Amino acid sequence: MRQVFIAGVGLTRFDTYDGQQGRPRKEFYDLGSEAILKALKEAGMEWKEIQAAFCGSVYCGTASGHQTIEKIGMTGIPIVNVENACSSGSSAFRLAYQSIAAEIYDVAIAVGFETMPRGLIRSTAWPEWQRKMGFNVQPASYAMAAVRYMEETGATEEDFARVTVKNRRNGALNPFARFQKPVTIEEVLASRMVAKPLRLLHACPLADGGAAVILCCKEKLKSKEKMVTVAASVLTSGTYGHVYGGGSVKIHTPDTVEISVKQAWEMSGYGPEDMDVVQAYDTMAPGELWDLERMGFCAKGEAPRLLREGYFDLNGKLPVNTDGGLMSRGHPLGATALAQIIEIYRQIRGEAGPRQVEGAKIGLAHAMGAGPNSSVTILKR
Amino acid sequence: MEEIKIKPVKEGLWVINGRGDGKPHLIGSRCNVCGEIFFPRKDINICSYCQSTDLVDIQLSANGKVYSYTVVMQRPPDYYKGEVPYAIGFVELPEGVRVETLFTGCNFDEIKVGMEVEMVIEKLWEDENGDEIITYKFKPKI
Repeated sequence: MRQVFIAGVGLTRFDTYDGQQGRPRKEFYDLGSEAILKALKEAGMEWKEIQAAFCGSVYCGTASGHQTIEKIGMTGIPIVNVENACSSGSSAFRLAYQSIAAEIYDVAIAVGFETMPRGLIRSTAWPEWQRKMGFNVQPASYAMAAVRYMEETGATEEDFARVTVKNRRNGALNPFARFQKPVTIEEVLASRMVAKPLRLLHACPLADGGAAVILCCKEKLKSKEKMVTVAASVLTSGTYGHVYGGGSVKIHTPDTVEISVKQAWEMSGYGPEDMDVVQAYDTMAPGELWDLERMGFCAKGEAPRLLREGYFDLNGKLPVNTDGGLMSRGHPLGATALAQIIEIYRQIRGEAGPRQVEGAKIGLAHAMGAGPNSSVTILKR
Repeated sequence: MEEIKIKPVKEGLWVINGRGDGKPHLIGSRCNVCGEIFFPRKDINICSYCQSTDLVDIQLSANGKVYSYTVVMQRPPDYYKGEVPYAIGFVELPEGVRVETLFTGCNFDEIKVGMEVEMVIEKLWEDENGDEIITYKFKPKI
């Protein structure tokens, strides 16, 4: 399996493009094609050079990738639509990566896009009777896990609020984020309760957006400067006992995140101590904390204290969510995981501007998704 | 006048007085090969853990302890027609299974991890025909 490089990336501003209150109206194919054109420009490539396209989205319906690519050019290449909930973008990335590593293609694109339904995320991951019981409310799953985490580690609502505060502070430096204004702990704790103990500002906002990454073999790179390779691209899905919206079982097995990150260390030859910058999955604030622990960046229960001490800040020992995370960007399901990968790419190429982590050379992006899915991507300079 | 029908939210989730104790019990499946227990009962005769086909129906205990909970303040996007706010969570039964459930019969602020609870059958809501939809819930054990 040969090394795979990133040729170029493209990202739209994430926002609500619903045409209301003076905002422009954009459809998923507008956002997806915008991202593709930006990636092509950065890669110095023409659309005709792309040999396969993997398109991540969740709510955009049949042939969403095709409709997006149709805006740019129809060249008869294989287009595969990828739905893996919030890991759709990184799952698309992985398919593109594998196909080049296996020498099936020399150049492939992973694109993710979404125009989100408004309101709470409607999920068909639950059987009908459970939806009738009211189980299908996304903050509820995280809220119940947060209650356990608080019980086991002594973490508080304020610790969770601190995640939002850190990420919104970073997001203020990201022109592509939906929200570019910081918030305070007081504002987070005063926001309305959605599913106790989680409040509105403990949750990431909705957004629409598009993101694209072009991958290729070394020979096809137009520029040999600041080359970025994929050190690991891992997907762990449907681990036993962690079925989303499924029934209850007695036997419990290792955590999905732990399994996926272990595979990523094996594949890359790195460990948590080697990472210069991390994108954690902050769909809900507490998730960032327990995922950092599960990934081995600190011991169980330690993340809240480290956060309080500034360890995960932009100028801290291990910067996490330097672009503001889902909290600031918002969460267009198909695009999110690619946006995370793109920020790692910018950081290790020294192109993150005011968000730059000095000397960053290796970074990790982690996304979860209903299924469950846990995807881990490691990029290195 | 039409009779009001009482319908379970899903057939086959529980049985009343199956153990002769007058209480409702959830129906699960047990794998005789690896000992795994499933709720709801498996409708496909395969153990999802070890893939054996030697499964039997069992009745789960009617009481347990709160493993986790939340109070939902916002109406779900579809299907749920009950009151809001409502409390849901996981109850750990002595068999080792953690069952997801609604909570009832208490002030939601009183719910705590480790609290002892017992199962009841109660109205979920009335549907558009005026029929009563019932389901299992757990309430604090007095």
